[in-house]
Order: sequence, then structure tokens, then C-alpha cells
Amino acid sequence: MKIPLRLAKREDLRIIGVEPVAEAELCSRTLELMGEFRAFARSFSVMLETCTGCGACAKACHSYLGTDDFFNIPAARAGLLRRIFSRYFTWSGRVLGRFSGAAEFGPGTLDSWVDYFYQCNACRRCAKFCPFGIDTGEIVLAGRTILTRLGRAPAFMVNIARNELTTGNNTGILKPAIIDSCSFLEEELLEETGLEIRIPVDKPNTEILYLPSSSELFVNSDTLMGAAKLFHYLGVDWTLSSTLLEAANYGLLFDLDVMKKHNNRMRIAATAVGAEKVVMGECGHGWRAAKMYSEGANGPFPFQLTHILELVTERLPDLNLTKLPIRATLHDPCNYGRGAGLVEEPRKIMHACVEDFTEMTPNRDRNFCCGGGGGLLMDEMTEIRMELGKEKSEQIRRLLPLDYIALPCASCKAQFPLLLKHYGMGEVRTGGVLDLVGRSLVLNRQQDERTSPQDCLGG
Amino acid sequence: MGIILGMALPYVAFSVFVVGTLLRIVGWMRIPVPFHLTLFPVPEDKAGSVRELVLEFVLCRSIYREDRLLWLWVWLFHVSLLMIVCGHVLGIYFLRQQFTLVGLSSETSQTLSVLLGGVAGAMMTLSLGALLCRRLFRREVRGLSEPDHYFELILLLAISVTGIAMYLPGLHAELPEVRAYMAGLLLLDPVPLPRSSPFFVHFLLVNLLMLYFPFSRLLHSAGFFVNRAMLAEAPPVYPTPDRSRPRSDFSSRKIHPDIPCPMNVADKEAGSK
Repeated sequence: MKIPLRLAKREDLRIIGVEPVAEAELCSRTLELMGEFRAFARSFSVMLETCTGCGACAKACHSYLGTDDFFNIPAARAGLLRRIFSRYFTWSGRVLGRFSGAAEFGPGTLDSWVDYFYQCNACRRCAKFCPFGIDTGEIVLAGRTILTRLGRAPAFMVNIARNELTTGNNTGILKPAIIDSCSFLEEELLEETGLEIRIPVDKPNTEILYLPSSSELFVNSDTLMGAAKLFHYLGVDWTLSSTLLEAANYGLLFDLDVMKKHNNRMRIAATAVGAEKVVMGECGHGWRAAKMYSEGANGPFPFQLTHILELVTERLPDLNLTKLPIRATLHDPCNYGRGAGLVEEPRKIMHACVEDFTEMTPNRDRNFCCGGGGGLLMDEMTEIRMELGKEKSEQIRRLLPLDYIALPCASCKAQFPLLLKHYGMGEVRTGGVLDLVGRSLVLNRQQDERTSPQDCLGG
Repeated sequence: MGIILGMALPYVAFSVFVVGTLLRIVGWMRIPVPFHLTLFPVPEDKAGSVRELVLEFVLCRSIYREDRLLWLWVWLFHVSLLMIVCGHVLGIYFLRQQFTLVGLSSETSQTLSVLLGGVAGAMMTLSLGALLCRRLFRREVRGLSEPDHYFELILLLAISVTGIAMYLPGLHAELPEVRAYMAGLLLLDPVPLPRSSPFFVHFLLVNLLMLYFPFSRLLHSAGFFVNRAMLAEAPPVYPTPDRSRPRSDFSSRKIHPDIPCPMNVADKEAGSK
């Protein structure tokens, strides 16, 4: 299936350091890049060469289940790359050719890569069900990086990467706007709680550098306010940084060079505010990039690194939380469950914050992706994203009636409201786990008077 | 001809099998693993990881989760393969008297050996047949199948069928002859191939399998360990301990030098507003 993905223009690609390849050189350059990647990462050749085509991954993949398109079966998706790899880089493919599934690089090759590598959320669920643990997400990310170097990358991602590289956040906001937004949120907090709760920016000599998702300044502000309340309650010395106001790292999703460069900002920003500890906010792939890729991308990382939900869990005994009278569930972001092992912490917090916490099935490391992961949040992909989220919508439907779905990931937060509306469940509220912490934390006011779910979820 | 097939081919095939497979594995292992690809949850310690890997290897638990029928055939096939490999070594070396070592009588050992061999052979043929049918008739799997997928299954089927054929009256291979032949090969003093046609075909097909193995998808047996070792790696700890070595040269590589340094741009643009 052809996807309506908008690709970046040449001049935009140059801003992130990519020089598009001329049409005549595409084949040779593709093979060169594949050779480089093969020598760069063991996973590339092992995962491509180990697949036996048993098909166990088919029913594990929400993308295939939702679209019913053969090439969205993980093994078939990786096969688009494998057949070229096989032809030019393996003994059997060079000698036996089509007999062993090898294929020549052709005019449609790169188009098929674009179409199918961008219908994958890189959720890694297939790796859980593959007898060899082949992670098609890993192959897809390698394929996307190769495509980017050839000059084929989504305009949406290139734009975000440009913002990350030049301003340090996805939305591209600069320090004055950051300070404005934070004072606005401080006023909101004052109005709600009657307390002077601060959201410091670039405060020198602080203990903790906090990296939220930059979207929290505008759309998911309850998450950031939840963090502010928490830090206030615990008396933590913390700050945001205008140099790096972002937990996300889109480079992971389409260009490893961008990933490396943006990841290095963590070190720069933490040094600038003198922090000993970097705390990451609610962002799925961002947490995986930070936790699992920092060392590999930029060498020894000299700071402590933890996730805000780990910090909350550790301090749960110190928090005065009232359970909200709502029925809520938790969606495990793929990059937490399978990608970074952040699984029990959000559950402990949920149990402490809501009266009726219910699990969806499957959950934890076997959870289905919501269809918003892997950087597919561009508008033109909305329709396809709804298909990718079909499995998730069915999971949710089985839990109705439901007041709230906790989504500790900015991509999930963007995808879910559209998904719920599309599948006729628009009445269910969504937001972060920290949002709940913020609401159930007893700061000083009479919060016990709230009785209906609407009251305690605000608005 | 007899000399080439009986005395030279086995050595060539075995060398290709061993050297080719090792070269493939070494080829993988020489490549760095630049990032932690841990697939959670992972056990806390090394012993736990090894236990998980062994359990996965022995029980194929990943397939069991999603597709019980596939699991059944895959598991039966690999178990019968193990039984048959062990049975060949013991049965030929001891001329089916291996069970006398555990106190059974000579006749019982003979019968038990024949029975176990027959059951394992039937299990292997049946499971291979089922896997072949699955490839042919399941829409998704048929789409994923290339000619060599079928070739490998049919080759294995042919080996197991010719093996079973030797149970039939008249096609029987004299075990002492086979033993003498194998001993000749192993002691580097080869003797001519025994003249039983099923054995002859069976033996040649096994040689073909060994020749083909390092270049085929059958190498998944090695890929299993190389791949799963990456997924089972313990996650990194921060601050990074001093003793840790660079995972690859990526961490020290200079990239995009033409992209403006982040700090300056953010501050300059902020200052100009």
C-alpha cells in the first residue's frame, strides 16, 4: 500500500546535515550505505540472515492486524530490505539469486522501503514472539537511517530534528517563550492550589535537571504541572533547561547521527545547570534513547539518569495521595515495556492514585502499540494510524466503561484522543500518569470534596 | 566415482559444514553492538539470563505464546532431530546394543533401539510434512516462502524418508558394514560405501545438507544464540562506570560538524529576540 507520507525537501535535509543523492547514484549509494550499516551494527546482518520465514510474527504485529497488508507482516517488511541485502552481501544470494529470495535493486525498491518502514511503529512486539528474537523494529530503524542518508525522510521528522538540533526541543521554542509558558503554568498552579509552585528555567547549581516533553508546555500541561507539584511537595531542587527542553529524540527514529547529536545535549545541558542527576519525563522513545543509547552514542555518561516515574515510585511512602474516585487503566508505552523495562513503577503509582485501577490485556511487555509510536504522528498519516491502532481500540473497548487511560508517553498522548474518537469512545479521558499524581497529591486545600470523575479530572 | 562419493565427498562436506558455519558466526561476532538492544524484561543476573536462554532453546517458548500448532511441529521436529542424531551415534557405534549398558538384555536393547529410531523418524517425517503443508497452505507463510525454504524442507524430508526406508524388508542396510564405513571415515582410513541403495542415497543427501548448511537458512540455529545474546544484555547503569570500554567507534565519531553547535544557537537566537 502506498502511503501519503510527505518527504522533506532537499534544502531542509541539508539543514540536518544530509546531502541528497542524485538519481543515477541511488543504487550504488544504497549498497554502500548498507555495507556501512552491516559493519556498524551486528544486529543488522544477524537479524536479516536468521529469519526462517515461519510467520510467527504475523499475528503479533498490530500493523499487520490493523491493515491486513501482507508487507506489514514483520518478516515481510524486513524482507523488503533482506532481499537486496541477500543479493549483494550474502554467499547464497550472490550465487543462487532468486532461489534464495534475493532480488536486484530496482526502481521501486526505495519506494517500497518508504511505504513499509513508515507503517511500522518500531514497537518491538514481533521480537517477543519470534523464536530467534528478531527485532523488525531494529531493521526498520536501520532502513530509515539508510533512507535518510539517501535523501528520503519525512518532512515532519526532518522539521522536528531541525528544531531539536537548533533549539533543543521538538516544537522549536526559544528561551523567552519557554519562560512565558512556565510563568503562565505557575499562575495556573497558584489558582488551583493557592501555592507558589515554581517551574524554574535554567536555574544554576540545581540538583536535578528535568526533561519533560516540550509538548507539555502547551497541550499536555497537566503532566508538567503534575511534576511541578511533585517536586514542590518533596522540596526537590530542580530546573528545566532552555537548551534542552525535550525528552524526545527523533533521531532514534530516522537518523542515528541526529540521535547522537541531540543525545549529547543531555550532557551539555546538565553541565550548564550543574545538575548531578537527569530526570526524564513522560516520553516513550525518549526514555529508551536516553537510557539505552546514551552510552553507545556518546560514551561514558557522567550523571545519574532516572525516569520521573521511578523517582515517584521511590518516594511514594513520602507522598500524601488521595485516591481519585475513577476507573482507570494504564497503557504501557512500547518503549517502556519492551524498550526500557519501566513496567511496575507506573502500576504502583496508579494503584496509589486511583480507586479502580484495571489492567488491559495483553499488557506489560506484551502490550500492543497504540499506533502512534515510531514518529508516525504526521497529519498525513492520521488515517493509517487509525488502522494501526485498531488492535488497541479493541483492547480499550473491552474495558468500558472507563474514565481515564493513563499514557506516560507524549506520542501515545497525541494518538489516543484521535483513536478513541475514531472508534466511538471519545468520552474516555486520556493523559499522563503524572497528571494523576498531581491531582491526587494533597498539597493543602480541601481536595476531598471532589466526588465525580469529572471533578477530579478537571474541565 | 565410488571413491569420490564414498571417500572424498564426506571430508569435503564436513569441512565446508564446520568451517563455513564458523566463518559465518565469526563474521557476525566481529561486528560491534553499538547500542544496548535489551528486550525487557531481562533477568537481573547472568545465571538468570543463561537459564532463560536455555529454556527458550529447549522449549521454544516464544512461538508457544502466539501459535501453539506451529510450536507443536517445530518442537517435535527439533526433538526428533536430537533423538536421531544421538541415536545414530549410539546405535551405529554399539550396533544397537547401547541399552545393555543400562542393564537391559541384548534383545531388549535391539528392540528398543529399533523402536525409538522408528518413532523419532516418524516424528521427524510427520513434523516436516506438517511444516511443509503450513508453508503451502497458510496464506501468510506462503507469501513469506522463497524457493529455498521449500528446498530445505524437502531435503530434510528426503533424508528422513530414506532413513525410514531402511526399516523396510529388503532395503535394510547391514549395520556392521555401516559401522565399518563410518569408522574408516573417522580414522582417516576410508573404505568403500556399503551397497544398500537407501543408505547410499541417505548418506549422499546428508552430505548435500552439510555442504549447503552454512549458506542456508538452517544457520538460524547459530543466529538464535548470537541474536538472543544481544537482546539479553544487562541494561546500562549511570553514571557510566569508569571501567566500561567503548561499545564501538560511534561514540567518539565526529558527525555533522556543519550543524551549528546547539548551545550557541539557542542562546544567540534567544538573545536577539
